[in-house]
Amino acid sequence: MALKLYDDRMSQPSRAILIFCKANGIEFEEVKTEIAKKQHRSPEFAEVNPMKQVPAIVHGDFKLFESHEILIYLASAFPGIADHWYPADVRKRAKVHSVLDWHHSNLRRGSAGYMFNSAIALALGLPLNPEAAAESEKLLSKSLAMIESYWLQGDGPFLLGNEKPSIADLALVCEIMQIEAADENERERILGPHKRILKWIEDTKNATAPHFDEIHSIMPLARQMLKELKVQASKP
Amino acid sequence: MSLKVYADRMSQPSRAVILFCKLNGIDFEEIKIDLSKRQQLTREFRDINPLKKVPAIQDGRFKLSESHAILIYLASLYPGVADHWYPADVSKSAKIHSVLDWHHSNLRHGAVTYVLNSALAPALGLPLNPEAAAEGEKLLSASLAEIESVWLKGKGRFLLGSLQPSIADLSLVCEIMQLEVVDDKDRERILAPHQRVLKWIDDTKAATRPHFDEVHSVLFKVKEKLKKLRSQGGGAGEAAESITKACVRSKM
Repeated sequence: MALKLYDDRMSQPSRAILIFCKANGIEFEEVKTEIAKKQHRSPEFAEVNPMKQVPAIVHGDFKLFESHEILIYLASAFPGIADHWYPADVRKRAKVHSVLDWHHSNLRRGSAGYMFNSAIALALGLPLNPEAAAESEKLLSKSLAMIESYWLQGDGPFLLGNEKPSIADLALVCEIMQIEAADENERERILGPHKRILKWIEDTKNATAPHFDEIHSIMPLARQMLKELKVQASKP
Repeated sequence: MSLKVYADRMSQPSRAVILFCKLNGIDFEEIKIDLSKRQQLTREFRDINPLKKVPAIQDGRFKLSESHAILIYLASLYPGVADHWYPADVSKSAKIHSVLDWHHSNLRHGAVTYVLNSALAPALGLPLNPEAAAEGEKLLSASLAEIESVWLKGKGRFLLGSLQPSIADLSLVCEIMQLEVVDDKDRERILAPHQRVLKWIDDTKAATRPHFDEVHSVLFKVKEKLKKLRSQGGGAGEAAESITKACVRSKM
């Protein structure tokens, strides 16, 4: 049964799914649906996802959106996926659900809010909002601290103290990687204090090499493009 | 019984978990964590949930937080929980996950922002924040419209066109019930355009009685107290303050 993935590599949750598929040898057709070109608003895409957001999948006649669900569905529906991605044990699985849920209103809200209001809005033809960016940065920093003090506690290098990565590691690390599109000094200010986070990102990258780097190869280009847009926006 | 549920019935997600347990005859000890008294900040509770939020559970030595994760865990673990709450079929459960995820940043975010900034601010002696309330209301209204146009499509009366309720119905309906603490005419203004949502709330209540009413009885008591305070001209009464604090700290 054919799997189609509708995505935009600038979308953090899209990248998590791409890495998961490639790391697990899941065959799929990538249908680029670029937000900056407003392709997510086309009537054709609305048939796939009436919420008009990426990522979304079509698997045979089954359609699904919301990236955590897509990751869970792929981990459950495809044979041969190693258990550590989405454990069968009810308690281990519950912990994965817990961090994925926490992510929505914490790391994602903080990080996406910060990046949007300090840079990405320009790419969508919208003005920057430094006040909103500052508020979001507070939540982002608090979330990074919580990941270090709570979610990364345990014996192993991954979330929930696991020895090997789960879908939660992909979702959260891809979110943090969005900060790669920010200026170097902003990145340093936000991530610099969090050595444990930086190590965890490295560990996740290594566990999913070479796909992680390949899928994130868009980030330096994005950084350059946003830098140029900021320069233009600051001209009178 | 080994299952402990740490909850405050003024917290929407706490109610969803308690309701699920009662509906499915799951034995549990309810331990009240009174948000108005900041009990979520005590060292004892931080041992249970370092994130300092309710609801949280302890099952033997296993601790868990985040209401959706808790609902899924209980539905998966306890025998005798009917399949419709959280189907074994991966395609069906994937859809439930989908609406539960959508909920975080949409209905919940909108409802919490609106209720806090419109109903509860005066009770804390704080100025109303009409801008924030209006933003919250926009998202809340858009979310209610999406529930009607996307999530309630299908043959059945419940979310995802199901013939019977799932954990998603419990979670989302308990959220909308929090609007009871808002002024009647505002609540009507927001909900009245959404007849399909109102019917779905009634269907969910009917499918989960008598537990639904019992679990929400605290909310209705607080609603009456707030109504009285408003008719007396408002002010930081004890009841109003307790609701405010509960809603502010409840898993925001």
